[in-house]
Amino acid sequence: MLDYLRLEVRRTLRDAGFVIGGIAMPVMMYLLFTNLGGASDGGWKTGSMIGMAAYGAVGSALNTGGGVAEDKGIGWLRQLRVTPMTPREVVLGRTLTGSVTVLPAIAAVLAAGGLVNGVRLEVWQWAAVAVLLWLGSIPFTLLGLGNGYRLTAQTTGVANMVCNLGLSVVGGLWFPLALFPGWLRSLSGFTPTNRIAQLGASVAGGDAPALGAVAVLTAWLLAFGSYAVVSYRRAARTI
Amino acid sequence: MSFTGAVKAFGTVRAVDGVDLEIGRGETVALLGRNGAGKSTTISLLLGLDEPDEGTVALFGGPPSAAVRAGRVGAMLQETRPVPRVTVRELVSFVAGRYPAPLPVADALELAGIADLAGRRVDRLSGGQAQRVRFAMALAGNPDLIVLDEPTAALDVEARRAFWDSMRSYARRGHTVLFSTHYLEEADAHADRILVIDHGRLVADGTGEQLKRSVGGNLVAFDLAGRGTEGLTLLPGVVSVEVRGDRALLRTDDSDATVLALAELGAIRGLEVVPASLDDAFMALTSHVLETV
Repeated sequence: MLDYLRLEVRRTLRDAGFVIGGIAMPVMMYLLFTNLGGASDGGWKTGSMIGMAAYGAVGSALNTGGGVAEDKGIGWLRQLRVTPMTPREVVLGRTLTGSVTVLPAIAAVLAAGGLVNGVRLEVWQWAAVAVLLWLGSIPFTLLGLGNGYRLTAQTTGVANMVCNLGLSVVGGLWFPLALFPGWLRSLSGFTPTNRIAQLGASVAGGDAPALGAVAVLTAWLLAFGSYAVVSYRRAARTI
Repeated sequence: MSFTGAVKAFGTVRAVDGVDLEIGRGETVALLGRNGAGKSTTISLLLGLDEPDEGTVALFGGPPSAAVRAGRVGAMLQETRPVPRVTVRELVSFVAGRYPAPLPVADALELAGIADLAGRRVDRLSGGQAQRVRFAMALAGNPDLIVLDEPTAALDVEARRAFWDSMRSYARRGHTVLFSTHYLEEADAHADRILVIDHGRLVADGTGEQLKRSVGGNLVAFDLAGRGTEGLTLLPGVVSVEVRGDRALLRTDDSDATVLALAELGAIRGLEVVPASLDDAFMALTSHVLETV
């Protein structure tokens, strides 16, 4: 299965769309949002860093589903079924692929924060932010897989983009929540994107991860996990 | 490998309709049929990609999925497109690595005739090259049985010849090969045994020679020169009569008797006697089933 992981990670990193959309875009947006107009303070530089790292991680995690949809469409998943690999290994390998391919986006945005924007955190904070964002991206990998197994390659792309942009904007990854009207701010608290950023922000502020964030993310993990399982079961008969 | 009364239906269509057959080790077998005859469904059942609605399918004495899991089967499926963003060597090595006792990757590439393409990306190859990559994936694990679903569809003549050369060198190593095709010449030229499938049923099973003999050996053709065709079906040996332009074509299982009878009628003009081709055999076998359905 490690071979499968290696193969799929390699294929993902060779995808120019993934590298530009999933890694370069969040970095560029982060640098733009924090340096335009010269109005940003240190707090926003840190907050936006975490928001954009989370945005990149979410996009990369969802992208795993795009890969599944593509592999389903071209018959690669069917071809795997006539090798000794078990379906469980394939699904697990794909999920792990998702958890590996989110790392470059997280690392790139954090690096931009530290090296370009002069964000200063303790070593353990950097590590904790990265790990929490990484763990927090797992529900999104499952959401992507659910889409990928259920939909065609094209509709998966669209569904992933809608999920990504919608959840990122409403979750406050792009703009500070302070700019939102009250009702949207309360809605935002229920999104997984808001809570993944909150995990990172609390650690960057020197606090322990908020329990509320863990609870909301766990709920989403279960919801997206079930969605992925149901989609997979339905697709497995026709792959 | 064996099928016992296997049936697989999709809605009201019985794609495989009660197939019984047995294939021994080391045979090279062609599954011959028109498009939609049930070849791909038969192969899906054999590989455990589908379960039969009735009857059983066994591979190496057990369920197909167990044989696949044990690495005893390699397959080249129809309608798969090249895997993007991966090189030939990476892909074939990956597939080989799934099997317990694979071929060395270099050997697999050599056998499939793509050793010189190892570093190229699979999604940037020509159709024929990509097809041979799929063949390399099927044999990379050195499985006892390889199953090839229409392996030469959409290949040009050159690529097709190269492909069959590769297939034969693999079969010579003592492996069992089953391939499906709708090209009669391919089945005749490359298989020890031909299974003809039509409307989900096995309508013939034997060597190319046996198939030709089974449908009445010869065609007798002559110019009608304005004469009608009445009475021709009653001539000795004649199985069927066909008219093409001004020529009558009689299929006969006793061409000597047929020709003698024609001579008595004084009908011999531009006479030709040729052995029925496999094409004719195939037409006769499958149209026969059409009539009885």
